[in-house]
Amino acid sequence: MAKIHPDQQEMHKVLGGQKQKPDNTMSISRRTFLHKSIISGGVVGAATYGWWPLVNTIDIAHGASNLNFAWVSDTHLYPKTLNTRFVDKAVRAFKEVESMKPDFMIFGGDLAQKGDPEELKLGAQLLKAVTVKKVFIPGEHDWYLDMGALWTKEFGSSPWSFDLKGVHFVGLDTVSRAPDYWSAKNMSPKERMGHMEALDGSVAGPWAGLGQEQLKWLDTDLSGLNKSQPIVIFSHNPLYEYYPPWNFWVRDWREVHEIVRPYSNVTNIHGHTHQVLYNEIGSMRSIGMLATSWPWPYAPEGVPKLTKPHVRVDPGDPFDGVGWAKHRWSQQDRIDHDYMMWDRDVYADATWDSGTGDNPGLALRSRVVDKIWQYE
Amino acid sequence: MLKNKSKIIWIITVTSLFVGVTLFLLTPVSAHKKRHSAADMQAFDDAYMEVVKMGDALFHGGGPQDELGITLSKTGMACAMCHPFASDVHPHQFPKFQEQMSEVAGLREMINWCIEKPNEGVMIGIDSEAMVALEAYIMWSHKGTIIEPGTH
Repeated sequence: MAKIHPDQQEMHKVLGGQKQKPDNTMSISRRTFLHKSIISGGVVGAATYGWWPLVNTIDIAHGASNLNFAWVSDTHLYPKTLNTRFVDKAVRAFKEVESMKPDFMIFGGDLAQKGDPEELKLGAQLLKAVTVKKVFIPGEHDWYLDMGALWTKEFGSSPWSFDLKGVHFVGLDTVSRAPDYWSAKNMSPKERMGHMEALDGSVAGPWAGLGQEQLKWLDTDLSGLNKSQPIVIFSHNPLYEYYPPWNFWVRDWREVHEIVRPYSNVTNIHGHTHQVLYNEIGSMRSIGMLATSWPWPYAPEGVPKLTKPHVRVDPGDPFDGVGWAKHRWSQQDRIDHDYMMWDRDVYADATWDSGTGDNPGLALRSRVVDKIWQYE
Repeated sequence: MLKNKSKIIWIITVTSLFVGVTLFLLTPVSAHKKRHSAADMQAFDDAYMEVVKMGDALFHGGGPQDELGITLSKTGMACAMCHPFASDVHPHQFPKFQEQMSEVAGLREMINWCIEKPNEGVMIGIDSEAMVALEAYIMWSHKGTIIEPGTH
């Protein structure tokens, strides 16, 4: 396993050196336990699939009363004629969310796989199954065919914020500000999307970021808040540097952390990585969400030390290693963060079952075909 | 007369054998193989990298599938969607007991399993051009990884 990248070392030196941590009234209890689904009715076959979500309880002290919200993301829909598997799983997640009746649902991006209008419209149709309030942030797969035109028309623009029961919620756009890698090469929209579609491609470069304008917006949006007010920031990409070659980061994470540093109780909930992740940097904690479509392997380096990795998945089981998440603020001042992973336990107990267990001794290289100049 | 003829044949045979063995022992062992020039090495590498590039393209859902008459996926999924940088393939651990097949299997068998099951494609020939290319790309991606055959 390679050593930690100098940028990450710098991040920990700058932010960790000040002994700053998220509000100490909140801590992960690690009281993880299995329990049967609280969902009854509305989910045909849940018992057959042996659906045993794992609850990761987070304690928090603040004044919020009952508040529930659900996160679904990374459905990566293809047209129904090509792939019904991803459609089935999105339908299942939306049904389960609807049966819970949370205060709202956040869709965290990558509704479509290729940004195709057929895929986005299919997603919009499926989302109608959820009748509670819905908010949206885009993923890169939703954006780079038509540069977000249809996504924005169907699901609105980002960033946005709102307050609910004492919690300040923010939705960011971390995907639309890629450096222009297509114009000089005269790429067609499909070619542009094709390079964006490949997680391990290098042509699209460091596309994930907030950009100066959105950073200013975030700074202004938070400026009126009490410094101890709970803040939840939704983003498609993680707001720290995990593994840049797969854009498991935003390139301007330093500025984001500078902005949130004065606030003591900040939680970032993100998609894109398709895996169980937990991290704390400065005053912000980050929780990575599952995809409904398929799980990514852990990157060969940079997995946060605070992450308890999820189990290696069974590639023959399309419901393994995927799911959605729900979050609940209770009257006892707790946040329950539940990974609703279908089919398997979430965490690995033994090294050989761990998604990161194979990383030591592993050397990986980036793609070779990206180095061929395909455009004249 | 006959006795003398046999003696001559015997002497010629022994002498020939002696000369042959002596020549064999004195001849440099590398004489059968010409030395490699830098150009040779470059040519070998070029040939290898062409196969790696094809494997990269196939692994990412492209490549000459039509020309080769193969269908690696019918779901839209490509190998790289679960295995960016060919990660989580664990080529360094094969051959190993593969649960899905309930037997000790090689990397090529597992590649075919993935093509047929998750990708719902059509299995390819175990020694086919496409299989060699996929294997070449996966192994190239793991250059420097410690070999640990038989581990899970």
